[in-house]
Amino acid sequence: MSKLSTVTVNSISKQYKKAKHLSLNNVSFNIQVGDKLGILGPNGAGKSTLISILTGILDPTIGAVTYQNEKGEQIDGNDLKLKIGYVPQEYAIYEDLNLHQNVAYFGALYGLSKEEIIKVEEELLQEFGLEEAHLKKVKHYSGGMKRRLNLILSLLHKPEILFLDEPTAGVDVQNKHAIIQFLNQLSAKGTTLIYTSHHMDEAEQICNRIILLNKGEIVKDTNIEYLMGENPAESLTEIFLKYTEVH
Amino acid sequence: MKKLIAAIKKEVLQLLSDGLGLTLMFLLPLMLVFIITIIQDSAYKIVNDNNIDLLVANGDEGDQSVLLIDALADSKLFNIIHSSADETHLKKELLASDGLIAIYFPSTFSADLEAKSEAMSEFIVSNFGVTENKNKLVNNSSIHLKLYYDPVLQENYRMSISNMLNSYISMIENDMMINSIFTKMEMEAPKDLKKYMVENQTVIDQVPALFSDNKIHPNSTQHNVPAWTLFAMFFMVISLGGNIVKERSNGSFLRLKMLPTSFATILGSKIIVYLFVAILQVTLIFSIGKLTFPMIGLPELTWPSNFLALIVIVLLSGLSAVSFALLIGTITKSQVQANGLGAVLVIIFAAIGGIWIPTFVMPEFMQNIAMMSPLYWCLEGFYILFLQDGDWATLLPVVTYLILFIVSCLIIILIKLKQERLI
Repeated sequence: MSKLSTVTVNSISKQYKKAKHLSLNNVSFNIQVGDKLGILGPNGAGKSTLISILTGILDPTIGAVTYQNEKGEQIDGNDLKLKIGYVPQEYAIYEDLNLHQNVAYFGALYGLSKEEIIKVEEELLQEFGLEEAHLKKVKHYSGGMKRRLNLILSLLHKPEILFLDEPTAGVDVQNKHAIIQFLNQLSAKGTTLIYTSHHMDEAEQICNRIILLNKGEIVKDTNIEYLMGENPAESLTEIFLKYTEVH
Repeated sequence: MKKLIAAIKKEVLQLLSDGLGLTLMFLLPLMLVFIITIIQDSAYKIVNDNNIDLLVANGDEGDQSVLLIDALADSKLFNIIHSSADETHLKKELLASDGLIAIYFPSTFSADLEAKSEAMSEFIVSNFGVTENKNKLVNNSSIHLKLYYDPVLQENYRMSISNMLNSYISMIENDMMINSIFTKMEMEAPKDLKKYMVENQTVIDQVPALFSDNKIHPNSTQHNVPAWTLFAMFFMVISLGGNIVKERSNGSFLRLKMLPTSFATILGSKIIVYLFVAILQVTLIFSIGKLTFPMIGLPELTWPSNFLALIVIVLLSGLSAVSFALLIGTITKSQVQANGLGAVLVIIFAAIGGIWIPTFVMPEFMQNIAMMSPLYWCLEGFYILFLQDGDWATLLPVVTYLILFIVSCLIIILIKLKQERLI
């Protein structure tokens, strides 16, 4: 199966039922393989809606998102699901089960064999420092451990693009640091990262490109270094505040 | 297939870690089926088999009360305890004792009975023309017997004691009347007439109306075992309904949507596991009814002759319970809501569906409402098999309703999950 090459977001708008305003208004951009894209914006800017549309959880009201491989062919359905990973904002894990049981379940649903599951589990547990807790029920985990497991479960099938919706929400500094470090390693291995957050410092550590959303519209789509060069005296937070409004 | 097996395994692990759910699905119904059957059976035995204490205070100055007391003692239904209390103190003595009923014979009891018999015999004899005076019968309700009872005693039981007393009193009256008639006719009453009257009472054969010749005897076991099994089945709403809400609200369904696995696999695994739970509940509770009940003196569960129909009703009941639990888990917003609504609805469905009180004793409008309860139809299916030994034709309305119920639930579930973009 040939590799994913580009994601094209073509003039998408989204209006929820009974909503007075558009949550996304005529949003267009491309994602290239290897991008570390941060979709940033204040609460209610449309970040989660955009990531839900990108992952196929939501359909746009207008417009389309297309995934293409290196040959320019469109990828969809289960082929696409095997190429993308999604880390939801919530702990989308079974807390009554232990880590191993969660991994075995989601791994099997990704179509992995027993051997593949064991191998990937060993790799990821070592990577995230959860080896010793793998037989402990998840409900006894700390918030940071749950966040790490949330991430592990999205990586079992080694996705080419990983979507992360606020992946560090509610974790302490140490866990946040570990997650950011891992994401950078993942990106270095060639995984495309699409990440939403309203933490500018985090974005600065992970992303090479940012899309700033405000009231459902893109107000900035640029390379971080270029953006900082354009505004030399300002921090990313100050730039963020300059382009967005408080909701 | 591998995915389905993995999903089934996960459901089993989740179920095994749910202590409350397992308790509600297995331990609670076992306790209920034992307790309720023992209570109902002992209530039945109190009326039919056991001697119960009857406190008797005899203030009568004649002999007829003694005859009645002897008749009651001979009936072997009562353990007669004599009291010397007067009318006022008898009530207090009953309250102070463990007894349930007491009878007080007033001082004029025998005299009143004799007067009544005398009046009746005089009337009969005069109408035969043996005497010249043609008497008229005058209504006389002056004969009173006080039956004190503990308020916990059920009305139907009280009525049966009252009827029994009336029956014995009638026998005494008849005896006195016949003797009096013979005396008035200056003849000697035949000695064996009374014996003949006592020994040749009309025998009432009680025969259960069954569709077959199977020897099923309707009893507390035949009702309680299926009824409480159904109650237990529907209580899977706490475990399954709660899990569905959790999966919807914590993003698990969203994650599952992102996997190359159909939702039918996920839903199918839940249905398979919980249907198996329902079958396990039936196997466990029915086995107890069959094997353990006779060991502790309770009636044994008798299988219906149409065993295939029993399997079909068990499967449809199980699927109804699973669909109901899935529906509750889908339409509620939190686990607390799912548990609360689920439990309340199961109790309401059980109450109106005849699990506790048979629907035939309910008023007509309640009987119509009962038909809305899936538990009513499941129980009806078991009643047809366990109490009437019915056939496929009699089961048709039950099967039709249950299939409609299951399909309706699944359609609503799919629409709701589709609306939430979870499938």
